[in-house]
Amino acid sequence: MNFSMNPPIPGPRAAAALSRRWFLKDCGVGLGSIAMTHLLADSGLAKSSSVSAGPVDPLVVKRPHFPARAKNVIYLFMGGGPSHLEMFDNKPMLTKYDGTLPPTDLLKGYRSAFIDPNSALLGPKFTFAKHGESGIEMSEILPNMATVADEITVIKSMKTDAFNHAPAQVLMSTGNQQLGKPSMGAWTVYGLGSETRDLPAFVVLSSGQKGPSGGNANWGSGFLPTVYQGVSFRSTGDPVLFLSNPSGVDERLQRDSIDAVNGLNQLHQKAVGDPEITTRIKSFEMAFRMQSSAPELMNLAGEPKHILELYGAKPGEASFANNCLLARRMVERGVRFVELFHESWDQHGNLTKGLEKNCRDTEQACAALIRDLKQRGMLEDTLIIWGGEFGRTPMVQGSNDGRDHHPNAFSMWMAGGGVKGGFSYGASDDFGFNVVENPVHVRDLHATVLHLLGFDHERLNYPFQGLDQRLTGVNPAHVVTDLIA
Amino acid sequence: MMRLVSLSAALASLGMGGVASAAAPDPVAEKPVSFSRDIRPILSSNCFHCHGPDEKNRKAHLRLDIREGALRARGRAKRHPVVAGKPGNSEIIARLTARDADDRMPPSDSGKKVTPEQIDLIRRWISQGATWGKHWAFEPPLRPKPPRLATADDKSPDGAAARVNNPIDNFIFNRLDHEGLSPSPEADRATLLRRLSLDLIGLPPTPEEIDAFLADKTSSAWNRQIDRLLGSKHYGERWGRIWLDAARYADSDGYEKDKPREVWFYRDWVINALNQDMPYDQFVIDQIAGDLLPKANQDDVVATGFLRNSMLNEEGGIDPEEFRMAAMFDRMDAIGKAVLGFTLQCAQCHNHKYDPLSQEDYYRLLSYLNNSYEAQPMVYTKKNLQKWAALSGKISRIESSLKNQRADWMARMEEWEQSVKSNQPEWTVLKLKNSSGNNGQRYFEQENGSYLAQGYAPTKLTAPFDTTTDLPEIRSFQIEMLNHPNLPGGGPGRGLLGRFSLSEFQVKAESIRDPKQKVSAKFVRATADYGNKRTKLKAPYLDKRDGESAGFTGPVEYAIDGDNKTGWGADAGPERRNRARKAVFVTDQNVAFPGGTRLTITLVQRQGGWNSDDNQTMNLGCFRISITGKEVVADPLPIDVREIVENIPQGKRTPQQSEKVFGYWRTTVPEWKTANDEIEALWSQHPEGTTQFVYQEMKRPRQTHLLKRGDFLQPAELVTPGLPSFLHPPSPGVGTGRLAFARWLVDRQSPTAARAIVNRIWQSYFGTGIVATTDDLGSSGASPSHPDLLDWLAVELMDSGWSLKHIHRLITQSATYRQSSVASAALETRDPENRLLARGPRFRVDAEIVRDIFLAASGLLNPEVGGPSVYPPAPAFLFERPASYGPKNWDYDTGPEKYRRAIYTFRFRSVPYPVLQAFDAPSGRIATVRRARSNTPLQALATLNESLFVESAQALARTTVARGGKSDAERLTYLFRRCVARRPGAAESALLLKLLAEQTARFENGELDPEKVLTPPAGPDGKAPPIPHQPDGITAAQLGAWTVVSRVVLNLDETITKE
Repeated sequence: MNFSMNPPIPGPRAAAALSRRWFLKDCGVGLGSIAMTHLLADSGLAKSSSVSAGPVDPLVVKRPHFPARAKNVIYLFMGGGPSHLEMFDNKPMLTKYDGTLPPTDLLKGYRSAFIDPNSALLGPKFTFAKHGESGIEMSEILPNMATVADEITVIKSMKTDAFNHAPAQVLMSTGNQQLGKPSMGAWTVYGLGSETRDLPAFVVLSSGQKGPSGGNANWGSGFLPTVYQGVSFRSTGDPVLFLSNPSGVDERLQRDSIDAVNGLNQLHQKAVGDPEITTRIKSFEMAFRMQSSAPELMNLAGEPKHILELYGAKPGEASFANNCLLARRMVERGVRFVELFHESWDQHGNLTKGLEKNCRDTEQACAALIRDLKQRGMLEDTLIIWGGEFGRTPMVQGSNDGRDHHPNAFSMWMAGGGVKGGFSYGASDDFGFNVVENPVHVRDLHATVLHLLGFDHERLNYPFQGLDQRLTGVNPAHVVTDLIA
Repeated sequence: MMRLVSLSAALASLGMGGVASAAAPDPVAEKPVSFSRDIRPILSSNCFHCHGPDEKNRKAHLRLDIREGALRARGRAKRHPVVAGKPGNSEIIARLTARDADDRMPPSDSGKKVTPEQIDLIRRWISQGATWGKHWAFEPPLRPKPPRLATADDKSPDGAAARVNNPIDNFIFNRLDHEGLSPSPEADRATLLRRLSLDLIGLPPTPEEIDAFLADKTSSAWNRQIDRLLGSKHYGERWGRIWLDAARYADSDGYEKDKPREVWFYRDWVINALNQDMPYDQFVIDQIAGDLLPKANQDDVVATGFLRNSMLNEEGGIDPEEFRMAAMFDRMDAIGKAVLGFTLQCAQCHNHKYDPLSQEDYYRLLSYLNNSYEAQPMVYTKKNLQKWAALSGKISRIESSLKNQRADWMARMEEWEQSVKSNQPEWTVLKLKNSSGNNGQRYFEQENGSYLAQGYAPTKLTAPFDTTTDLPEIRSFQIEMLNHPNLPGGGPGRGLLGRFSLSEFQVKAESIRDPKQKVSAKFVRATADYGNKRTKLKAPYLDKRDGESAGFTGPVEYAIDGDNKTGWGADAGPERRNRARKAVFVTDQNVAFPGGTRLTITLVQRQGGWNSDDNQTMNLGCFRISITGKEVVADPLPIDVREIVENIPQGKRTPQQSEKVFGYWRTTVPEWKTANDEIEALWSQHPEGTTQFVYQEMKRPRQTHLLKRGDFLQPAELVTPGLPSFLHPPSPGVGTGRLAFARWLVDRQSPTAARAIVNRIWQSYFGTGIVATTDDLGSSGASPSHPDLLDWLAVELMDSGWSLKHIHRLITQSATYRQSSVASAALETRDPENRLLARGPRFRVDAEIVRDIFLAASGLLNPEVGGPSVYPPAPAFLFERPASYGPKNWDYDTGPEKYRRAIYTFRFRSVPYPVLQAFDAPSGRIATVRRARSNTPLQALATLNESLFVESAQALARTTVARGGKSDAERLTYLFRRCVARRPGAAESALLLKLLAEQTARFENGELDPEKVLTPPAGPDGKAPPIPHQPDGITAAQLGAWTVVSRVVLNLDETITKE
């Protein structure tokens, strides 16, 4: 028989076995340290000594391919497609040619979502200025971000393949327009495991006008084991689904009940010998811990006033500012990957006021997050990513205050986690229409993020449907080494 | 191309595959080396990427997947990669063992490595003559002879030989023999019955069912249980759910809007087909081409919903063709996984690198499927079909009696026909150009001059169209609302069930010669062949922001009254709302200009709801606009009636055509008023149907191109339907087209169809398939653990007339299945995945069954089968922004519907039902033939705290107290058995009775409030329903404590595990 040479089978135990094998092969970590990590992780579980060793926890901390620059990621996903032309990509020529038709050769083969591509150009709505020692250009609606200009790398040469929200968001999140692939967060946790035993390793928070267009596919685990998918937290009410005890159940009753469940499970584990029962016991223990750790995490009341003010956060409110502060608290507690969705950047119309409002809602907190992580010494190993799924057309939509979806060029920024500060990378043409220098495709961004996390994107893979699947897919992707500090 | 750095290859090199023992010497290996089983997998995973079927990727012009390629002399030195019988002369061995890293294959940077054992196998294979063959899965299965056990002479009652029940055991026990293992003893009877019940119907047995089985001492007791459960209506629900995963079933569109759709008829079709044990080949044929079967009935058409379960993107700004192609790819993927059992997806963009499937093959297969409308006709339940049959029978009888009353009716009808035949003006159909920057809704010109609206459906729309005409006089505008299969119920509107509303019909005319001359048409008269009564808009068309000033649909005058809140609607009730309609608008004066006129026609459609994510549009679906210089009224004759009257002489009409004309004409005969009224009354009782996404062949086939890189914008050469040559040829007489393709898929000669389905059935029973990669039996899939068993089962399936129940019977009758699942530490270490099956299966049940167990054990379960999907309790915020992209309707059921089985829970693709999601239910985005099986804290939180689970604990406590006996011990046993079938052990009882006593004390001393624990979870209004009636003779404190104990037992690992 030769099924030893075939792909390992993703199943609960196989997934665990897979991480174990992967661990041995790629991490160069001996069994001794697996046991250590395991024991440390379980030190809170007093009664487990009688239980035989279970399968390796799929969330056990793993070492990446090479030394990482970043341990954690906070991804600020600006759903809807923020206008690069009003925020980070200054185009004076667009002002000059405002109201005129774009050059016809520019539009060859161009597909747009709503507008006739042959629409007049629209000059930027805001004035730009250089900021910081680095002189990074930002527009006037980013006054707080301007003060941290020297901490960030702005990529002005992003490009993507999709120009409709759902496929473009899912492409940005998973490397593929088709739904059903694992998200960047899921890959990260699959690769690195979890540093926390009290909280999920990948947490998602949403704010803004709507939910993400791609729905929960943006934080799904695709074909990876579901234990790697993002868990949605709410910033008000119960942070996690079913976190509160049922009516009339006090903490002691919950504890007594879980003790009884675990006690019976242990008896049964002895009888039937299935290590999966040990995992079940651990799950109940973690659930119990999460019942107190999650509300503690979400409670901002204990944050000092100057921190709340720095972010513009108000305890008890559902806002992007609160979510940014929560993201910091999560990373502090060992959450590996935090993703904040803020879906409100789809300015087909009302461009000026819409952007002013969005920036008022978000940019102070973004800057605060950078500052706060830095002052805590956490910025160097926390990678912050900011950006949407595409940019906006230089051509007008409607009379004079809207822009359509635009995939050919847009801007993102990153900070911390081994990324250069005060650095601007790549360039679009005079109208911000096409990338003319150092293009960064979504795949390149993914390869770079994985690189910062210590992974060779071609080697972080998982067998599915006859292929060793990976975040960057089968098309070429390159690590943008220029932006690494 | 990229190197595929293979984890699997690396693992293989470490000898760390699925079964720990696999690296150990295998006695079976002394047999002749088989190319397809032993050699091909090695070549496939290490060599084919560069030396395989994909020409574009091939290195050094060397091809190893076919014999000619490997035997041909190469290079100046004329070296032969393989010389049959002579491994020493075979270059392949030299290269595999080369010391010099530059010469050695596979290249070091490929990350692939061939082990010494594998090289030895290759060497032996060459010595034995290097016979070639296809990958095993592409050769049709032949019935293998079940092996005689090595221990066959051991007649001891515990010996494997004595335990053999059927050939499955021969295959499994033979392998165990070779591995030096023996089967585990049979599981105890309660556990066995629970296993069987969970496997066959997805529900645990009741204590009564267990007692009956325990009491049945006859030798046929087990078979009787199998028959009982296979005959249960719940069998189809359990196995239907597994098929629905592969069919990527969900109740919504997916993507951004993720709007709800009505597709539950398909779900019920699957359940019914399985319950009837429809032969599997027919089951597949119906789903791929049921609509094309001779005498296809509604069920056959509904079955094609399988193909239509693809996601649909109606996000603003999309190109519908892009996502139609995405759906086509998804259909191919679903057929690949569900039926063929291997992946087709790779060949969408390039030739398959491992299997001999070319990109052209892929598009040739796709072209079989590419000729369908995205149809969504009305369908009716059996009951409603019968009801309408009775009503229409009455109508026919009345019509017959009318004909009998007047012997000269034919002459009179002919007279009438002559009078109306040419009473219509000449209409000039306008060619329209959407001039709005398109608003995201796209219009596709049809052959008959109409326009079909597709893609984004804004709730409120003002759609301007430009056109020019040189007609010297324009006095009347006609808009015809036409049918199209792509519209709900065939249209004519895009609204639910095909409704539409036209708020305003506006026209501006401008002189082409002198654009300064222009006029806004003033309409003085509107007529239509039908308009519904003034009807206030209701949800989902009601704009919440409008409050009391909600709009109306009504007569055609509403389209020219200058009020956007009123619109012309033609909802004539079931069936008749889906007929073509027309309206004519007459201007006060000629609006044409000498020298030509530019017209801007604006179709204002403002009767949509407030939320574009919920199908709340009443947009026009398919319309045609024409003009005439005359002042006319709308033709009262329905469009189809006029077509017959004008084009088909009475003698040449089909009976249906004659009926149609008569059916209209009789309404014009004044003296038949009473009969007409009677018929109208019968029509008004026409039952309401629902739409169902199905396949419907287009009148003219669509052209299919090979798409470069799978990009719909890069069509390359045209392809015609055709089957890949590496698979079986079609049987003679299967015909052409999609039906032939469907028959070919499940042909008796198909190498994969039967293997794929029996392999998945095996997976459901034992946790892993005989081929673990159930989605891919092809070259890059896993090798079978028991290849002969797989083939034996496949042939059994076909020989039994493709009876799936036959396979279920075989598996559940086997001794293999009946083993205890208790694993010794040694066995757990030796074979953690239980691939060798030296013990019975033990794993957590599927998500739906977790929930169904809670409901069944507590007695809450509503066992009703079929019907529209239901909305059990879920946190409201999930369906609102920003958790959901847009607000979704989830007014959850508070009556018995909330206790329906989980297969009936409404499935939004973007907002999966949280409890099911926590337990790994797939979202329906892609075909899934193998679920993950995770074990997480979120699951623990759900079973401990989710409202329906809490309610189950409360109900279980009530049932226990009422029916479980008098003493605590009796009650505990009863409760325990309801959850896990067996009786509690002494230690278990002690622990639970202690918990019961402690918590009773806490309830009694006031530390805990029993009222609170007994109060059902709050409903959607936030209010808790009253406490249900308490059984007599028990205090609230006692019942509270029993509720605690119930919750504990329901939360046991064992409760949600099949043992």
